[in-house]
Amino acid sequence: MNNLCADIGYKSIFHYGEELCGDHVDIVEENENSTVIVLADGLGSGVKASILSTLTSKIISTMMAAGLSIEECVSTIAATLPVCSVRGVAYSTFTIIHIKDNETADIIQYDNPQVILIRNNENYDYPKMEMNIDGKRIYKSTIKLCENDIFIAMSDGCPHAGIGTAYNFGWKREEIIEFMEALSGCGYTAKTLSTILIDECNKLYGNEPGDDATACIIKIRRREPMNLLFGPPSNRSDCNRMMSLFFSKEGKHIICGGTTSTIAAKYLRKPLRPSLNFERSDIPPTAELEGVDLVTEGVITVNKVLEYAKDYLDKNECYEQWSFKRDGAALICRLLFEEATDINFYVGRAINPAHQNPDLPINFSIKMNLVEELSACLKKMGKRIKVSYF
Amino acid sequence: MKVTICIGSSCHIKGSRSVVEQLQYLISENNLGDKVELGGTFCMGNCQKGVCVNVDDEFFSVTPDTVKEFFENNVKARL
Repeated sequence: MNNLCADIGYKSIFHYGEELCGDHVDIVEENENSTVIVLADGLGSGVKASILSTLTSKIISTMMAAGLSIEECVSTIAATLPVCSVRGVAYSTFTIIHIKDNETADIIQYDNPQVILIRNNENYDYPKMEMNIDGKRIYKSTIKLCENDIFIAMSDGCPHAGIGTAYNFGWKREEIIEFMEALSGCGYTAKTLSTILIDECNKLYGNEPGDDATACIIKIRRREPMNLLFGPPSNRSDCNRMMSLFFSKEGKHIICGGTTSTIAAKYLRKPLRPSLNFERSDIPPTAELEGVDLVTEGVITVNKVLEYAKDYLDKNECYEQWSFKRDGAALICRLLFEEATDINFYVGRAINPAHQNPDLPINFSIKMNLVEELSACLKKMGKRIKVSYF
Repeated sequence: MKVTICIGSSCHIKGSRSVVEQLQYLISENNLGDKVELGGTFCMGNCQKGVCVNVDDEFFSVTPDTVKEFFENNVKARL
């Protein structure tokens, strides 16, 4: 066992004018440390391609996760896929990345652009073995995982970006590698990296993609625990218990809430120093407290974090805001989305009498909902979440 | 003189940011930067009366519309 884990993120753009994507990514968690990721690209675009790629990725990921061999997966697909009436073939290319115990990765590739592996910020040429299954030429590799490895799987829409417009022969693999190498050391999440890559493709296509393009990125990283305290306990006498549990945990500590941070300051016997710097944002300023990595205001800040989290899981259009801004919400986002893998929430259920004013857009039930929604979003990002109430 | 403004949730919604920015402006306009120290604090437990502002240890309730009046009467006049 090691303490590595896989951060997985992907993004697609559709063929211009289509409402469905002909590429499909399917992720099946075999167990806590093993995952099967399949990226399939169906023939053509639109509905037909979407059905082909969805079927292919679903079948392969389910069968692989159940422990069946690649040969069986391929022959099942060949026997199952509907034959295209126009072209007379049933065809979907695929890339399989099978992470085993967070120690090795099996990569199986059929006709998609070769998976790029960036190790120590440089392209790493890994060995491939050629197999022939039912007349299909399939490449298989087994790679021992290292921290900071970045696997980039793409559909051919990526290297084809810009053909005839920006570039004569599209965006070459070497150029994609160079582009991604430059980004690999910046601490971006897999989702952000795939978004940056696909946004660049979209730019090269002049915002009218001539093909579906998908990037799926897997980043191997060390597990990183993080603790977040939000709200004072409902029973005043629980303050010390809550604080000692919170501060005894390994990892960074974030405190959200004015009253909460005052209680923490008292517990630590250190001065709490709120700042008056608004960082050109509508989020209240942060504060400094020795022994705590980040102190912010409560509901307004967390509400903004939730907004960013929802966007991250959806279109991921706001990453430029939270990646660079310096307000409380952006700082929490960077810690939770980029740094943390295991997050412990310590949530106090005290009712702030001042918030029960009908003129104010904040109240107790909103606060509890925030925590539930945020932890659900973080789980979808692949984080392990524990919530304790006081 | 120390002027402390609450930047907690309640006061934030009631406009503490505007109060802070107006006070920062008024202080530099009157060249009082070396006499008045502006600071932030979290909840003072007086949310109903927000935006909460303390001048030394005396409590005042200020709104974005009354900042100028507050500054003239309770900050400038006391120096």
